[in-house]
Amino acid sequence: MPPLNAPEEGVPAAGLASWQQDNSSTSYASYAPNMLSELPELGPLPETPTSSPPAPGPLLSPPASFMRTTRPRRFSNISISSVAATVGSETQSACVGSTRDLTGRSPVLLINYQELQYESEVDKSLECPICRTPFHAPITTKPCGHTFCSECLLRAHQLRPVCPIDRRPLDVERDFCKARVIHDQLDRLRVKCPSQGCGHVCARELLAVHYERYCEYTPVLCPDNSCDLWIARQDAAPDKGCLHKYTPCQYCSKQVMKAGLEEHYDRECSGNTVKCAQCDSSVVQHRMENHVANDCPSTVVLCKWNKYGCGKSAPRHDVQAHEKKPCIYQAIGRLAQDREDDRLIISELKVRLSAAEGRLRVAEQEKTERRERKRRQAGNTNNTMPPFVPDLNLSNSPRAAASYNNGTLDSPEDYMLAQFERMETQMEDLRKNIHELDGLHSMRLLNDTMRLNEQIAELGSKVGVIGMHTTWLMNVQRQSRGQQRAGGVVGSPLSSLASSSGGPGTTNSATGSVTNAARNAPDNEGGRYYNSSLPLRRNSDGRGENPPRL
Amino acid sequence: MALPKRIIKETERLLAEPVPGISAVPHEDNLRYFDVEIHGPSQSPYEGEVHFAVRYRWRGIFKLELFLPDDYPMTPPKIRFLTKIFHPNVDKLGRICLDVLKNNWSPALQIRTILLSIQALLGAPNPDDPLAPDVAKSWKENEQAAIATAREWTQKHAVPN
Ligand SMILES: [Zn+2]
Ligand SMILES: [Zn+2]
Ligand SMILES: [Zn+2]
Ligand SMILES: [Zn+2]
Ligand SMILES: [Zn+2]
Ligand SMILES: [Zn+2]
Ligand SMILES: [Zn+2]
Repeated sequence: MPPLNAPEEGVPAAGLASWQQDNSSTSYASYAPNMLSELPELGPLPETPTSSPPAPGPLLSPPASFMRTTRPRRFSNISISSVAATVGSETQSACVGSTRDLTGRSPVLLINYQELQYESEVDKSLECPICRTPFHAPITTKPCGHTFCSECLLRAHQLRPVCPIDRRPLDVERDFCKARVIHDQLDRLRVKCPSQGCGHVCARELLAVHYERYCEYTPVLCPDNSCDLWIARQDAAPDKGCLHKYTPCQYCSKQVMKAGLEEHYDRECSGNTVKCAQCDSSVVQHRMENHVANDCPSTVVLCKWNKYGCGKSAPRHDVQAHEKKPCIYQAIGRLAQDREDDRLIISELKVRLSAAEGRLRVAEQEKTERRERKRRQAGNTNNTMPPFVPDLNLSNSPRAAASYNNGTLDSPEDYMLAQFERMETQMEDLRKNIHELDGLHSMRLLNDTMRLNEQIAELGSKVGVIGMHTTWLMNVQRQSRGQQRAGGVVGSPLSSLASSSGGPGTTNSATGSVTNAARNAPDNEGGRYYNSSLPLRRNSDGRGENPPRL
Repeated sequence: MALPKRIIKETERLLAEPVPGISAVPHEDNLRYFDVEIHGPSQSPYEGEVHFAVRYRWRGIFKLELFLPDDYPMTPPKIRFLTKIFHPNVDKLGRICLDVLKNNWSPALQIRTILLSIQALLGAPNPDDPLAPDVAKSWKENEQAAIATAREWTQKHAVPN
């Protein structure tokens, strides 16, 4: 049996999971411990990095982003240090997840939602008034209805317990509630993966899954245990060892950290650039392929909505202009993309739900087993009070045993019960979330299809009108032909009709004679007399006019 | 450390849509440090004398420095007058007594709102909440004389020649 506490494969670790675990408005307190453990470090001017890179001797300092990655504390609401601090306490470690000791997987650098890059400009109404970036895990204040990121608001609240906008006193327990209404919009914002080198773009709700599970560029702790720097996951194979050593760059012979080579090429390498044959810009040799494939304005590419019908194919520069215009397929493309994102988000939630259900089932099973055994024991000892025998089965669960031995809980049973309860609420939450998403989804679907349906109905009626016109015209023609064949009578039914409606210039070229009505038509342009055998109606005849009943 | 998005956005907006009568320009080598100029509000002793003879209307222009600490916006920006000014709420070192810069700071406030508050403070000195007791005292005892002094200082220190 797997350790109950370890997040299973289906359960992503950090922020997301913890966000979804608490649903009641009172449970915001559970954010606070994280904040508390963070705050001392956010105090005035934390000038020294928490872990300095290994002294590179008299060489250059590592590239800028490298310095950044050595500071886990600046990232998101849970930092590695706070994880370490809370590993002992059962309540928090459950939400935290991705630490080496719990899962065996190496921890990843947490996503900083404030630094994310969005694919397109985000609506101002989705911006947090404190960090001025799109809300992350938004909270609304109950008395005044202002919305902030939970992290921003809780930090501000720690400093002064009032609303940052109108200074109304606020109480964490009573006055904060999740801002559910905008979740749907926020989840679907298309965002770039924050890992350096990864170009992945996805709905924000799915970012954590990509980043924590799939992205090859996600910074993870260096496989070398003596080194506490971050490195891209693809370079973190234990057999490669620590790549935080300085080597000379093959182009400019500057001393660069091996792990930072790519970034060096991108940012500052001055040696050995070559001219791009297509666009004439200079590019590091190493990057030429990437440049041609992803950046070069002269590469011929397809419009990004080509999947949905746009056939535009031109140099990237032109295609970008075309996409901005915007491409007429954008509307349908966005719709389809949203639909696709929804599908992915829902299936992701389903995975999480089934994982939680699985764990619940296991816990339930254990509970009944234990009860059974107790009953049997009680039967065996015949009415005497059974001595407490620790459940041996629980020693299969290292976490349970460990926390029992550490004395954090009174007995393995208590531990199991706590786990069980936690999982129950978690599942309830997930169920609620899926329900909500389902509702939103069908609402949107309804809204969107309604519009389409209306348009289709309108088109249908237009086709009907055209059909009637055609039938009418063909009838007229047939009649006039019949009349000609019968005796070449000049006055066609059309001419009498036309004169009575006072309008259309018509001609019957078969006989070459122009009808009276046509001659008397108010604006009688000579050019309008076509030599066609079809009678003509002018557009100006008025769209509202019904075709004659036949 | 990377500059937070919020500071980048605020700077962009300050440069793109400056507040009338106020300019704030970040130092190139330290984007958290701004050179600020505030025009003394009209109808105030800090307006500066108007020379119709000259081609320009000279105005009192007060230079300030503004620094965004590391945990801005959780803590207020640090801001100080560089130009000498005779004002009951500004002390000899140029420090400003303004509630929104201290207890009443809120992370939802921005650089531009703070600079506007300072400009407003120039238009409405508050000698009841002084930072420079001697200035406040003269202000309370003889307002006309104090205003004349403020005008004189403005002409001497804040009006470019
Ligand atoms: Zn925020
Ligand atoms: Zn409020
Ligand atoms: Zn990625
Ligand atoms: Zn290393
Ligand atoms: Zn180089
Ligand atoms: Zn090129
Ligand atoms: Zn297109």
